[in-house]
Amino acid sequence: MAAELGITDLWAQVEDKVILKGASLTVRSGEIHALMGPNGSGKSTLANVLMGNPFYQVIKGEVLYKGEDLLAMAPDERARKGLFIAFQYPVSIPGVTMASFLRTAVSARRGYEKDQLMSLAEFQKLVRGKVEELQIDPAILGRYVNEGFSGGEKKRAEILQMAVLEPEIAIMDETDSGLDVDAVKIVAAGVNRMYEHSGRQMGVLVITHYPRILKYIRPTQVHVMFDGRIVTSGDAELADELDRIGYDGIRAQYEQVAAEVAGEGEVRSAGKVFWVRH
Amino acid sequence: MSEPQPVTTTTLSRDLVVRQSEAAGEPAWLLERRLAAWEAFVRLPLPQPSDEEWRRTDLSGLDLDAHAPLAFAAAKSKPPAPLMALVGDPAQAAGLRLVVDGLQVGERVATELARGGVVFTSLSAAARTHPDLVQEHLGSVVRGDENKFRALHAALWSGGTFLYVPRGVEVDLPLVVGTWLGREGVAYMPHTLVVADEQSRVTLVELAGSAPGKARTLVNHAVELIPRDGAQVRYVHLQHWGPSVWELGIVRTVLARDTTVSTVMGAFGGALVKTNVESRLVGPGGTSEMLGVLFGDGSQHFDYHTLQEHAAPNTTSDLLYKGALKDQARSVFAGLIRADYGAQKTNAFQLNRNLILSDGARADSMPKLEIMANDLRCTHGASTSRLNEDQIFYLMSRGLPRPVAVRMMVDGFFAEIFDRIPLETVRRRLSEAIAQKMVMGT
Repeated sequence: MAAELGITDLWAQVEDKVILKGASLTVRSGEIHALMGPNGSGKSTLANVLMGNPFYQVIKGEVLYKGEDLLAMAPDERARKGLFIAFQYPVSIPGVTMASFLRTAVSARRGYEKDQLMSLAEFQKLVRGKVEELQIDPAILGRYVNEGFSGGEKKRAEILQMAVLEPEIAIMDETDSGLDVDAVKIVAAGVNRMYEHSGRQMGVLVITHYPRILKYIRPTQVHVMFDGRIVTSGDAELADELDRIGYDGIRAQYEQVAAEVAGEGEVRSAGKVFWVRH
Repeated sequence: MSEPQPVTTTTLSRDLVVRQSEAAGEPAWLLERRLAAWEAFVRLPLPQPSDEEWRRTDLSGLDLDAHAPLAFAAAKSKPPAPLMALVGDPAQAAGLRLVVDGLQVGERVATELARGGVVFTSLSAAARTHPDLVQEHLGSVVRGDENKFRALHAALWSGGTFLYVPRGVEVDLPLVVGTWLGREGVAYMPHTLVVADEQSRVTLVELAGSAPGKARTLVNHAVELIPRDGAQVRYVHLQHWGPSVWELGIVRTVLARDTTVSTVMGAFGGALVKTNVESRLVGPGGTSEMLGVLFGDGSQHFDYHTLQEHAAPNTTSDLLYKGALKDQARSVFAGLIRADYGAQKTNAFQLNRNLILSDGARADSMPKLEIMANDLRCTHGASTSRLNEDQIFYLMSRGLPRPVAVRMMVDGFFAEIFDRIPLETVRRRLSEAIAQKMVMGT
């Protein structure tokens, strides 16, 4: 069944600060979306809200995943139904080895009964293949989850989890930040392989500040977020353009429209920027 | 109101001490010691809430007279199923003793060990068969006049375990003692005496449990570990007492020159536990590792007072106690590191970590230092924390239901200790006990 993640007019806050202000976006099976935008524009908030991070409160809006109300689901249910997020800042869990964590997680994802685990042999075969494919040192499996990992190791560990869990929709929250270009290539190659492996059925939302990773993961759609909403969308060329001129041009257009909206003026678009009404 | 009061017999008396000793066929010197301890028992007061050591553990309502001491005897009978479940596969043990309600129902020790001079039997039997060894060491580490409970113990201990490993003998598999209490309301006072002669090596695992009774049952045990120069001793004590047990215990080690001792205390059962675990490093080059795993739920109360006393130069002690607490459970950890004058080049480490799983649970941690030496390395730390919601979210975001995520984090909390326990069977038992605790009441 094709998965579809439909976000409509999503508003969310952290503590008392409203960060998402009407974000709308639809990611379907087989599509690769890039969500770009300057720091603080709300990209990571969107990712966390989609995964159900309890520190973020949804104020209003709707998210449908496979036709169901995603926001009503607990984070684990979302994951078991095939949603995945590679976190920007994955936490460490002392005392829990990657191997035992991955085995428990993949068993949950594959619908094993409570307290049942995938057989050790099957799990080892699965995880060895993934580790090799992603060029990760297998020693990572014996280490505690993210404990003492370098920035690059954490990102790779996230990709490893993604590869093992085989999500239907994967969100990658700034997975490229803090990585050197070689590491970015490896991560991107991993994602591309997963995409191919899924028969080009996996939907991907790549959240990034820098267009760099989009040289290696070619998006089908590109969106730019400012101030908690998506202000423009386009194809891969939009990313190339941003690479050349940066966010300033878009920002100027956005500010012009935002001023009009604030002043209840008539203008609802300027250049590439458009204001979506719900 | 007209309900007849239950008959409370005054069970403790000098006469009882004499009768019990005679019934066990004990030598005169042992009866003398018991009677001296009895005098101390009569003389010593019960600890008061104002005593620093007892401030956090409420003994009001304890009537020592109300608990009839269990006498030891050897008997032929089948060990009950819960005891066998506790002990697990007997083939994993070089020797096994099974004791039910003070009756020894099984005893064996590998033939080649017995031939090599290893003694593994009840302390009562050893007092007759190896009087010199027992007379020399019994009560040399834990004295009968230290406080009222120790005095009671010294006067009326029964059964117990004696382990002697001759010079240079190395025993690979652990020796195991399994204890089961089916009777309630009684006082069970076993004494464990381990003498590991020079350059020997041995592991003793004591597993104890009791039936879920209603009447308060008193367990007043004492463990003396005596490694001689160069000996290596590993001692494990795992208790799964039923919910009516009060445990008042002491585990004390005196470490001679170049000895290595590791103790693991696992506490899961009982209503109230007040146990002291102490290492006295009296010979240079001694190393004492002290590990503790406890998990309280319901209204359980665990009080561990530990002592790492460095009385010789070049000694090391390393303590790690970890406790998880849920419901209204409470733990007290009071750890003292003492370095005497002249205990130079001491390494002393102490860490107590507690994980609070419910709002009503509480852990108090009181590390204390008394340092007389001036050339040493010493660290101590204590922390009490709750489950980290960021970590729970992370695990849940990978598909783990919240209870599974919590379980995994609790396992992770204890992993630091598990990593230091080389005995796979002990790790598994601890892990199973933790799993059981996690399921209960949730």
